[in-house]
Amino acid sequence: MTAGLLSAPVLWLVLFFVAPVVYVAIYSVGGITLFPTDTGVISLDYWRHFLGGGSIYLGLFWKSVRMSLTVSVVVVMLAYPIGYFLALVVRKLKYVLLLVIIVPFLTSFLLRVLAWKVMLGDRGVFNSLLESLHLRSPNHPIEWLLYSQFTVMLVLAYAWIPFVALPIFVSLDNMDRSLLEASSDLGCSRLRTFWRVTLPLSLPGLVAGFVFVFVPTIGEFVTPLLVGGTSGYMYGNAIQDLFTRGLDWQTGSVLAMFLLLVVAGLMLIFGRFVQVRSVAAD
Amino acid sequence: MEIATSRTGRVTLTLFFWLLVVFLYLPIAVLALFSFNDGDPSFPLAGFTTHWYRDVLSNDTLITALGRSAIVATVSSLIAVALGVMTSFALIRRRFFGKPVVSALVFSPLVIPYLVFGISLLLIFTLVDKVLTETFGVYFGLGLHSVIIGHVVVALPYTILTILPLLERLSVSLDEAAKDLGANPRETFRRVTLPLLMPALISAFLVAFTLSFDEFAIASFLAGTQQTWPVYLFAQLRVPRLLPQLIAVSSVVFVGSLALILSAEIGRRLAQRRYGAEYSGGGFAA
Repeated sequence: MTAGLLSAPVLWLVLFFVAPVVYVAIYSVGGITLFPTDTGVISLDYWRHFLGGGSIYLGLFWKSVRMSLTVSVVVVMLAYPIGYFLALVVRKLKYVLLLVIIVPFLTSFLLRVLAWKVMLGDRGVFNSLLESLHLRSPNHPIEWLLYSQFTVMLVLAYAWIPFVALPIFVSLDNMDRSLLEASSDLGCSRLRTFWRVTLPLSLPGLVAGFVFVFVPTIGEFVTPLLVGGTSGYMYGNAIQDLFTRGLDWQTGSVLAMFLLLVVAGLMLIFGRFVQVRSVAAD
Repeated sequence: MEIATSRTGRVTLTLFFWLLVVFLYLPIAVLALFSFNDGDPSFPLAGFTTHWYRDVLSNDTLITALGRSAIVATVSSLIAVALGVMTSFALIRRRFFGKPVVSALVFSPLVIPYLVFGISLLLIFTLVDKVLTETFGVYFGLGLHSVIIGHVVVALPYTILTILPLLERLSVSLDEAAKDLGANPRETFRRVTLPLLMPALISAFLVAFTLSFDEFAIASFLAGTQQTWPVYLFAQLRVPRLLPQLIAVSSVVFVGSLALILSAEIGRRLAQRRYGAEYSGGGFAA
């Protein structure tokens, strides 16, 4: 009976999820020939070349890590007050207001990036507005608004704030309020209560939020494609280019597998941390 | 004394909240505004028009792309919901060896970078086609079927997350009562469990549908020549002439997915209220 229930979903995932990923791993060490140019010799050369820094890709990876770390930290710092406000300050309508924050996240990602592209271009909404108000001459738009590393990070932060506010809200909302009263009765100031009680108890939500942004942004390639230009080029763009333009699928597979291992590692460390903490907080 | 915030703190937080709401909605609002502007998307506004919307109707490639996305989203969501129901039942109602492994397997598509998943499927489909061509001289090629296969995988965990909480609250004794009254397992499922689960199923379908309809990364690798709406949108962004039209469609799609998401959420809430359960936060995206 159980086998009957599970066979279809498990089969689907094994065939179309596990097998493809394993296959990329095998391809990255040359275990399968797909094109006439593939040698079919199993070797770790491609991995060694990548990890030894013999190509630009490892440097690009660290650049992407720096960018997503910055984005994650900024987003968590912006989302925390929102979660705090909704969970502890608002009385009525808190779920409606939560929905107001989350709804943008549930609509097209591409559309939200496009909106920024339209806003920030040389002839875009922002520059043309400055021009109409005679704050800027037509021939000198603010050029760094679009196609820069800054823009990529701005748009990514914009895209992920709603999603991060959610786990922070949940952890604060589930917190036992009497702990706050106890802290206050025992003579703690509001600030001290926050540092010693509220913040530690909401740590699981905070860490979860951080992981929720960091993991997807580190493999991001759509946003840099649209608003990044050359300086906003990220690790994910390199992977995409290797598969669609350079047609060096083996190097691409190495890069993709490496990204997957990094994400899996992060989930092993933080996933466990989050779970253990949330059980402890109950 | 209010412990969470001082008076000033409360005012500051309220202000910050509404500023953030403006920040979140302003770009989308601006996009919608320019979809009615008779000219390029830049200031000064050139006057009100609806002709971008009318142009869309005569743009056949665009309409085809939207239609393809509708097909992909419908089919993949139906499959994902069916598989999601089965998995949820097994996870909630059954004890079996290796449950943690199964649970890890079904939820791991939540964290895989779509880029990596897209190319993994691209690689394996290429291999299958190569083998098929060499042995039988036929091949599948890329297209909507490959996008559907990929979207089922990434939508599955979301459908499970939507169905699980409701199934957890559905009392097993209802099933037992049906059995005692002489219903066989199939009848019990069809006449008792399924109707009770329906709100969650619709909700799960809508969530999966919106996810698939807007999905770009996976589709960009797997659609081949059959561009879905996001893939088409992305490819056409380079053509400035088309931008106002694209903005117009995007606005319609935005309003559409908004309506879908809100009805999914309202349906889920109504279902939970019906079972007298308290809404516990977390919601659809958790």
